[in-house]
Amino acid sequence: MAVTMDAILKTEKLQMTYRVGKVDVHALRGVDLAVAPGDFVAVMGPSGCGKSTLLHILGGLLQPTAGKVTVDGEDLAAMGDAARTDLRRRKIGFVFQRFNLFPTLTAEGNLKLAEHIHGAARQQDDARRREVLQLLRLENKMQHKPLELSGGEQQRVAIARAIITNPAIILADEPTGNLDSENSAIVLDMLQKLNRELRQTIVMITHNPEAAAVAARTIEMRDGHIVKER
Amino acid sequence: MDSLIVANIRQRPTRAIVSIAGVALGVILILINTGLVRGMLNDRVRREQGVGAEIQFGRRGSILSPSSVLSTDTRYAERLKQIAGVKDVSAVGMYPQRSKTGLGIEVVDGIDYPSYTAISGMHIVEGRLFAGENEVVIDEFKAMHNNLKVGSEIEVFGRQMKVAGIYSPQIGSRIKMPLSVMQGFLGNENKCTFLMVKVNDPDKLAEVQQRINAELPGNAVLLTRDLGLSAGCDIPGLDGFVRSILALSMVVSCLVILLAMYTTITERTREIGVLKSLGASKSYIISVIEKEALLISLIGVVAGLVIALLSGVVLERATTLQLEFHWQWILAAAGIGLAAGALGALYPAVRAANQDPVKALSYE
Repeated sequence: MAVTMDAILKTEKLQMTYRVGKVDVHALRGVDLAVAPGDFVAVMGPSGCGKSTLLHILGGLLQPTAGKVTVDGEDLAAMGDAARTDLRRRKIGFVFQRFNLFPTLTAEGNLKLAEHIHGAARQQDDARRREVLQLLRLENKMQHKPLELSGGEQQRVAIARAIITNPAIILADEPTGNLDSENSAIVLDMLQKLNRELRQTIVMITHNPEAAAVAARTIEMRDGHIVKER
Repeated sequence: MDSLIVANIRQRPTRAIVSIAGVALGVILILINTGLVRGMLNDRVRREQGVGAEIQFGRRGSILSPSSVLSTDTRYAERLKQIAGVKDVSAVGMYPQRSKTGLGIEVVDGIDYPSYTAISGMHIVEGRLFAGENEVVIDEFKAMHNNLKVGSEIEVFGRQMKVAGIYSPQIGSRIKMPLSVMQGFLGNENKCTFLMVKVNDPDKLAEVQQRINAELPGNAVLLTRDLGLSAGCDIPGLDGFVRSILALSMVVSCLVILLAMYTTITERTREIGVLKSLGASKSYIISVIEKEALLISLIGVVAGLVIALLSGVVLERATTLQLEFHWQWILAAAGIGLAAGALGALYPAVRAANQDPVKALSYE
């Protein structure tokens, strides 16, 4: 795959090997990927193909064994833990399958926590905040705690938390994996709107072909390689 | 972040209460013990100073240290009287016994009434002076506090003794008996705990002290006005006792917070992973956990202070124990409580900050 120069996210010959007992497990075997700003990429593949590992490396949660990862012009693979954390804080928003909201905080508390960590609490763009909450139809849910919200609503709060700090890239790990079809459709619709209306770059891992269908690009992985793209 | 800390504490009230109780216990331990030491010692010093003798003479470590052995020879009295500037001398025995309530000790003075009253002005205000070996006199405070009257019986030296009279003012120990009887009970003939020395001219006190030191070297010659300063040092092991209480309190509070925060971060492993995924730095995660521990400790310190102060009031009303809380110890207790909280949370906090985010996010 050709690596474009204007990619906001790109990997070159990315490799990741885990040591399990005395056995080396090659999760990624040289992945080249480029994601342009405003792109919506779905990554599909069977369990164990390396897509979660890829997402964790792209988000700076894992250090690759070899290869290069560039996020918005910064080389993640060459960074130490603290620098990767800092980059994650500034440029990455995560959305998880299990929502991972703080159960003790309200929806608003969850958003404020993300803002606080980002350091954006004081400079928060109110217009963007309103736009995000409106887009995700969360204006009336801000004072609810996660357990008082449906799965779809929780995932929408998680998406709001991921984008409230205006990250360069959203990394979504099976965002509809814990949702019924109705809520899945709502969440996918929201992600699509975010991508179209706010030009938000999204990389989404999914098993679900219907979910992948909302993305502009779909990449298929197998055995640590990208095997197909459409 | 502040709302996360408060929410975490509110979500686990039992753990929070146990942690708060642990810190409060440490604070109570410090304040009650130092309050008791200080209160009892100062009360004792005030009453000793009220006796009217300017100098106390005895074996080193014996003054204000009641024991079941009388260590100073009463025959020093005659030699002291011969020293220029000395007006009167009176031998005093001090015997510690368990108080009636079982809390603390009370001291019984063995006195030679004629010489003692000549120095102190002690006088009987009700009843009469003790006569024989089964009678004592008590002061007005003890009579009122323990609801005792002339003719009542109290336990002294393990036997029932009759209250022959009530004396005033409140000086020395609150129970007094003949020194000769005390010597007999203890098998320490011609012995006392210390000798009270009254001087002719209080302005020449230092000179008299120097003369006594020169004439009778190797003994403690303390000015009564300095007892407050030296009493703490004069009682063997007191400093070590107070230090032990401080260390114990620190360890108790520290362990409670460590266990509580360790459990907490294990429960919240996934949340720590989420914090990391949001870009929270190690220092941010450490500060979240440290702030939570400090908030718990602060509540514990306040609770401990309130409970200790209330306990002091109750103890003083229910017993003859005297407590004195001093700002120095209140601040020390608060500082130790907070420091123990911060220290106890440090290991769990650092452990949390160093967790692998991917493993933390997949924690069940």
